[in-house]
Amino acid sequence: MDRLDLLKKDWDNSDSKYPKLSYDEIYKMILKKSSSIVKWIFIISLIELSLGLILAILNPSFEHKIEYPKWLDTFSYLMFPVIFYFIYLFHKNYKKISATDNAKVLMQNILRTRKTVRYYILFNLIFGGIFFAVASFIAYTQLEGGIAAFNEATSTTKYVVVIIVILFVTILFLGIIYGIYYLLYGILLKRLKRNYAELKKLED
Amino acid sequence: MNTELEHSFVELLEKHQNIIHKVCRLYTNNYDAHNDLFQEITIQLWKAYPKFRGDAKFSTWMYRVGLNTAITLYRKSKRRVNTQDFEGVAFKMKADEYDDTEEEQLKLMYKAIHQLNDIEKALVFLYLEDKDYREISETLGISEVNARVKMNRTKTKLRNILNQ
Repeated sequence: MDRLDLLKKDWDNSDSKYPKLSYDEIYKMILKKSSSIVKWIFIISLIELSLGLILAILNPSFEHKIEYPKWLDTFSYLMFPVIFYFIYLFHKNYKKISATDNAKVLMQNILRTRKTVRYYILFNLIFGGIFFAVASFIAYTQLEGGIAAFNEATSTTKYVVVIIVILFVTILFLGIIYGIYYLLYGILLKRLKRNYAELKKLED
Repeated sequence: MNTELEHSFVELLEKHQNIIHKVCRLYTNNYDAHNDLFQEITIQLWKAYPKFRGDAKFSTWMYRVGLNTAITLYRKSKRRVNTQDFEGVAFKMKADEYDDTEEEQLKLMYKAIHQLNDIEKALVFLYLEDKDYREISETLGISEVNARVKMNRTKTKLRNILNQ
């Protein structure tokens, strides 16, 4: 192929055409901060991970006006071991990411890290959703004079309406969060996913 | 930070810096992007350097980290609009070897390469650097057979772009 030969010739003789950076210039570069995708994923993931923790810790403080049943509290504390397990997994995955792996393994490891955080987010959303829905219902019944009074005074239709409204608000809220989350990583990982698909395609 | 380590790294990089320039040449098409990618590759190399054992050649190791950064890790800068294009400006051949048609063809070649996807660019890079299929397969994480198939397809694609 003629043109490729020409390119090859130019390539082999191109050494003198590139700028020559001095020792000092290179030294300054290694002091600068990376802006790699892994770093961004790491920062965003840390925010996500801490969000779960903050939510779990803050939970009791906004409940003080309304009395929730004990099982709901126990339920919320169950979150901690799971969150810590996710943090452990995330750290383990993150440590595995190395620029010296081959391209495919590197991409796999980055995507695996993302997957862990995605499961974590799903866990938080499902858990948070259940908690939010149950807590809203209990709060509402207490405002109406307690569950017993509420049961007595409320017609079946109102009962159903209250539950539907709570479910709707919960799903809407979770949907918006998941949408933002999806968009965020969609943009960040678009190129990586495309390149990974390109390498995977070869094996099919 | 270990200054001895810093010193040996910067010295080696200064000597082999053209490898990074060459990766940047294929993956970017203006000065700013070239410099951005150069810097990111340098940082990634430096981060990985403590694990460099010296059993591989420094240059071979650079190929891998450099390409990984360009394909996988690097987030393209948004500052690319309104910057000067490479084509026809940078890397002019020296006067004594200057050939108008050759220069024109090279410009077209680089333009065509920039239309390839990131994996195809990596293949072109490894081809231009005379890497054999074993090394290409190890760098990208695909089999040698697939590397060969993909290389041929990439060359065909390049040819098609040029013939358009």
